[in-house]
Formats: sequence, C-alpha cells, structure tokens
Amino acid sequence: MRRPALAVRLLGGAAVLVLAIGLALGLAVAPPDAVQGEAQRIMYLHVPAILTAYLAFFVVFCFSLLYLWKRELRLDAVAAASAEVGVLFTGISLATGAIWGKPTWGVWWTWDARLTLTAILFAIYAGYLMLRAFAEDPRAGARYGAVLAILGFLDIPLNHFAVQWWRTLHQPSTLLRPGGPSIDPTMLTALLVNLAGLILVYGYFLAERVRLERLRHRILDLRLERGRRG
Amino acid sequence: MGKWGFVWLAYGAADIALLGYLVMLWRRIGAAAEERTALEARPRRGAP
Repeated sequence: MRRPALAVRLLGGAAVLVLAIGLALGLAVAPPDAVQGEAQRIMYLHVPAILTAYLAFFVVFCFSLLYLWKRELRLDAVAAASAEVGVLFTGISLATGAIWGKPTWGVWWTWDARLTLTAILFAIYAGYLMLRAFAEDPRAGARYGAVLAILGFLDIPLNHFAVQWWRTLHQPSTLLRPGGPSIDPTMLTALLVNLAGLILVYGYFLAERVRLERLRHRILDLRLERGRRG
Repeated sequence: MGKWGFVWLAYGAADIALLGYLVMLWRRIGAAAEERTALEARPRRGAP
C-alpha cells in the first residue's frame, strides 16, 4: 500500500499533537464545573464532536450540490467520504452525550428535541451510506445520495436551534450562542483546542477516505476495461 | 461509578471509536490497493 502524501501525514501528526494538548487541558488544567463537578469534562469531547459532524455534513451538502451541477465522480467522492466521517463523529457525540446524561440528568437517554434531532441526523446520514452501498450503478447511487444529503442537511439548523425554540432538558449552546460563549476562559480554551484537534482528525480521515474512494473508482474502471477487452 | 468513571468511559469509548475507524480505514485502503495492483498486473485477454 502506498503511503499517504506528506501533507496528509503532517495533518495526522498535527491532529495527534493538538488532541493531546486538548485532552491535557480538558482533563487536568480546566477547573471542574461548579454544579456538575468532574462529569462536565465530557463537554470537551461531546461539543467538539458534534460541531465537527456539522462541518462534515456541510462539506457533504456543498459537494453534493457541486456533483449535481457538474456530474463529476471526484466531487461525489468527497461527499461520500465526508458523510462517513460525519456519521462517526455524530455517533461519538451521541455516545458521549448519553454517558454525560447519566450522572447529570439521571438517565442515559430522553426523547428531548435536541437528542431526538441528533439521532435523526445520525439515521439520515447512516441511511445515505446504506443507499450508496446498495446502489448497483455508482452514478445512480451518487445522484440519489446527493439529493438525500441536501435534504438531510436541513436537520442541522433545526438541531442547533432546538434548544432555543423548544423547552428541552439539554442545556443551551455553549459556543455558538447569541452574545458569544459565556464559560470560564480556561474552559473555553480547552474546548477550542479540542475542537481544533477534532477538526484536524476530520481532515486526516477525510483525506484518507477520499484516497480509498479514488482507489475504488480506479478498480471499477479497470474491471470495465478488462470486461470490454475480454 | 463516580463522576470520573463517566469521564473515563466517555473518553475511552471515543478513543476506541476513532482508533477503530482509523485501523479499519487503513485496512480497506490496503485491500483496495492490492486489488488495483492485481487488476493492473493481470494480462488482458486477447492481448499479445
């Protein structure tokens, strides 16, 4: 297997370094929350994970639009790759949210608007991956997937504003709120460093996943070529 | 389980998910690269 490009390897190294600093800040330097105590440290993972998932799905949205316009499979490759990584980060956010919910709310799960919309977001993009996996013609899979991804993206603003529009158990947004973040500067630094770390991880995963998608396209071309000549 | 227990559970679960995905991705890339190499090396039927 050929190694990834130097820039991608550097991206991976930077991701590990920034995440290590972020973990140290979140677990050892930032003070415990006055109300929730140490359990609040889960925030340094939970919030960056969902924000990174939003970014991943925004990339899916943009590249799906571009694919429908240009009909180039290399654009669809980025959308497919970003969706898979986005599903991973949404899963991490759901799991860490449930683990945070138990000591804070006394339950692992509740059908609160924010939690339910996040679960729906996960299901939409997991469905997108399944739709693509089951499509026999890659171009048809790309086309149907692009339409689903664009419609599915509507869940993100709903999800983000759910805590403002409805009475929910989930706390209001920590970072993206009117008037700016309201938490302690040490906590905010830890949160932002972890967000930067997870965005770098996303970038590395995306680059590697796109490499896989390009290999698959090449394999498909070779099979067709061999088939035609056979 | 104490509050630190929940913290370690969350970070442990996330680490396993991220590392597990990374290993799986590398294996998929390795398998695809091998398949591509095999296809490229296969003599075309009908070729001299």
